[in-house]
Parts: sequence; C-alpha cells; structure tokens
Amino acid sequence: MLKDITLGQYYHTESLLHRMDPRVKLLGIVAIIIGIFAGNNLIGGLITGSFVMILIAMSRVPLRFMLKGMKAIVIFLIITVIFNLFLTPGTVIWSFMRFKITMEGVRLAIQMAFRLIFLILASGLLTLTTTPNNLTDGLESLLGGLKKFRVPVHEVAMMMSIALRFIPILMDETDKIMKAQMARGADFESGGILKRAKSMVPLLVPLFISAFRRANDLAMAMEARCYRGGVGRTKMKPLIYKKRDYISLCVLALYLTACILAGIYW
Amino acid sequence: MSIVLTNVSHIYDSNSEMSVKALDNIDLTINDGDFIGLIGHTGSGKSTLIQHLNGLLKPTSGEIIVDGENICEKKYPLKTLRQKVGLVFQYPEHQLFEMTVLDDVCFGPKNLGLSSEECRERAKKALEMAGIAEELYGSSPFELSGGQKRRVAIAGVLAMEPKVLILDEPTAGLDPRGRDEILDSISKLHDEYGLTVILVSHSMEDVANYVSRILVMNKGKLIFDDIPSKVFMHIEELESVGLAAPQMTYIMNRLKSIGMDVNTDITTIGEATAEILRALKC
Repeated sequence: MLKDITLGQYYHTESLLHRMDPRVKLLGIVAIIIGIFAGNNLIGGLITGSFVMILIAMSRVPLRFMLKGMKAIVIFLIITVIFNLFLTPGTVIWSFMRFKITMEGVRLAIQMAFRLIFLILASGLLTLTTTPNNLTDGLESLLGGLKKFRVPVHEVAMMMSIALRFIPILMDETDKIMKAQMARGADFESGGILKRAKSMVPLLVPLFISAFRRANDLAMAMEARCYRGGVGRTKMKPLIYKKRDYISLCVLALYLTACILAGIYW
Repeated sequence: MSIVLTNVSHIYDSNSEMSVKALDNIDLTINDGDFIGLIGHTGSGKSTLIQHLNGLLKPTSGEIIVDGENICEKKYPLKTLRQKVGLVFQYPEHQLFEMTVLDDVCFGPKNLGLSSEECRERAKKALEMAGIAEELYGSSPFELSGGQKRRVAIAGVLAMEPKVLILDEPTAGLDPRGRDEILDSISKLHDEYGLTVILVSHSMEDVANYVSRILVMNKGKLIFDDIPSKVFMHIEELESVGLAAPQMTYIMNRLKSIGMDVNTDITTIGEATAEILRALKC
C-alpha cells in the first residue's frame, strides 16, 4: 500500500562517488549551484552539463533511477517554461491572438529549464550516492563552525538522522494499524473528503501514540547509554579526507573557476 | 462455515529483484468448530497465511473458497468476509483509539452499519466474552493494564460476531499469569460460544494444552497438519525447522529411553501424570 513512497532514496552500489567523503559531495552541490548561475551562457552551460553528466556516469546509478526523481517536477518545469516563453517582453517571433513568443522568452525558457533540470539531477545524485546517516554526518561536520555561535549543530544533525531512521518504521506501523482497523471493518478508500478524513482518526490516533511511545523508548535508551548531546563527543567512524577527496576538491575548484571565467569572458 | 485453500502461493514484491515467496502451494481446509494451532518459526509465513483468510492479502496464485464462494473475485464483498472471519493482530492493543473502552469496541459493529443501540449491545456482550469487568466500560483504554488492553482489543474483534476467530500471538509480551488467563478465555470462546479458533504461536506449550489440530509451517510450506500428539512425534523434524516439542513430550521420550513402559504421544502435564502413574502401577 505504502511501498511506492521512497524517501532518502539511497541506491546501493559501488562507485567512486559512493566512497567519496560526504562533505566533498555537499561542497560539490554548492559548487554546481554556483556554477549553474555564474556560467550563465552557452559555454558555461556546456561545462556544467557535461560535468554533471560525467558525474552521473561515474556514479553507476542507472539513469532510470535518476529520471524517476525528475517525475515530481515535470509539472513545475512545464509551468516555468510556459510562463517564460509567453510573458517575456522583447522581439516577437511568433504570435497568435494575444499570445506572443519572443526571442528573449525562448532564451530565458531554455535557461530556466536547464537550470532546474541540472539542479535536480545534481541534488538527486547526492542523495542517491550517500546514505542518510553519512549525509547528516557530513552536514554536521561542515556546519561545525557554527557551534561557536551557539548553534546546536550536533543536536540538529542527530534529530535529522533519527527522523530519517524512523520513516520506514512508521510506515510499517501505519500499514499494520491500517490492516488491524480494516479487520474491524474500517474503510479507508471510499466516501467523500469529509468521510475519508474522519476515517483517518482510527489510524492516526494509534499511530501518534505509537510514535510517542517509540520516541520515549528511544530517549530512555539513549539516556541509559549516557547520551548528553554533542559536547566532547567522538565518533566511531570519523570522517577523514583521503587522497581521492583532495583530488575531487581540486576538480571542483577547477570546474568552478571554468564556470566563473565562462560567465565573465563570453 | 468452511474455508478451503487450494494451491495458494503468495509472493511479496513479485516484480522486483527483492521478491520473497512467503507462501508456497498451500492446501488447507478449515472446518466449522476447529480449534487449530498454527506454529512456525519467525518468517515461516504464518502471518501472511492468516491475512489471506480474511482477504487482507490476495494470493498471487491459487484459490480461497469461503462457504463455496471464491473470495478472490472482484465482486466478493470483503467487508462481509471480515465480519465473518475476525482477525486479531499481534499486539492488538496498539489499535485502540477511542476515549472509552465501550466506544472502542463499538468501532467494529459501527462499521457494519448497525444502530448505536445494537452496537452497544454487541460491545457489551463482546466485552463480557473477553472477560472485562463492567466497571471498566467507561474508562479510557489507555489507562488499563497490558492484559486488560489486549482483552479490550480482542473484544473489539469479537463485537463483529465472527464465526472464525484468528489470533496472531495473543500471548506475546504477557507475564505467565496473563498468558494463561488469555488462553483460558480463548479456549472458552471455542468451547462455550462455538467459535472456530485459529491460534498462531511459536510456543508449543501454549498450543499443546488447548488445540485439537496443529498446522506447522516452514519457509512458506505447510509441513504438518494433524492432531497434536501425532505432530509432536516428529521431534527431529520439528527441531530441524527451529521448533521444539512440548517439554512433556521430551520427558516421556526420556522415560521410555531408560526403559519405562510409557506412551510418548503425550503433550500436557495432566496426560503425563496419568500415564506415568499407569506405568508405575504395572
């Protein structure tokens, strides 16, 4: 019933991108975002496009998986393109009644579509090649500097990993409770909006209770192991930059410079 | 009412690489008035099997005939089936949600479209059958003890007035006394109210003391279907699939091996006492 929902869609396989330090990958996403906006012309686009494509090939994640993530934004993409296409003032190249397409509109539409597609592809690549735990670890380490400003970075990262960890558990629980109530004749599928919303009560109340119970148990178990938050805490598997990570950082720097130069000189 | 399964197989995630064959060609007939124990190791397919019996899961292949009608047909009214075959899941107390015990038990009958008068009547009867004292009817189900919560949840299914009652590990997580009380109430449902009962468990003692027929499952297959004393004769096969015979059966086997003239098809303490006394007298 709930199997179609995939969140934190990690694709397990063996590749350089999978082995790479999550911090480098996070920085890579930032670099690509800057690159997309800085290299704001044909050459810049070609550089970013080929860079992301090479990364996708390197990740060994099937293209089918990458495109699945695109499905969600298709409508958004179409709307963006249409708005840009018809509502940009400039030299008219085609018109029908009140609708006109301008030269600038075409240019802007292509640009916007390109930006969106590659942003989604790049961030998809990040979640597909990094386990949720690694991702939060990387985030915690990258934002570690904020601790000086009393931002509870470790705690936020811990909350994120727990939340991600609990998604499959709660989905299982939902399925179980749904079945138990269906065995008592509950009907979740038919009826109008009001009736359906009402039929959710026997599902949501036990689900909330069980979520609280689990949270309570987890808090108790963590306290029993003397968890006190981030201060003075060490890691079992600390993130350490390796040779491949330094090389990757150099490649990223190279890519970023190329994009910026392309943006300035062409 | 009878339930007949022919060649039933169920495969989870059949169109992905992670497909699991949870049921493998099950042939099974459940007759009116049976008291069945369904045992098997974790992951043997017990829960999958019982969810087929009230239409929560559909077989990937094979047929399930309830009272002469195939429940896999599109037109078959699943709601009626779920009324006739009551299924109590593991830890059923996790499904409680209403403000009072009585209201919660009313949930099932209300879904059947009965008037609130009838609902209350049925709920009261079900609570009585499950052994909940009347002064608890108005209290919140969340304030009860673990064993009481479970009884209320079982009453919630009984209020549908099913003909067949299936309970998935009804004693899980209860202390020995709570366990015996629940099992006694369940056996009363069979003996006094004439329900067909299927008890899913992995504890041999639980099952041996109460049921009249045992089904043993392993890796999605039904490997034994017989009366308890006959099933427990196959100690080695049971152990090879991660199960065990009741302790009494082991004791009788040991006694026999040291030369005492006793029958080994014994499963409960009562039977064992009588048999040992008989053997000693000779």
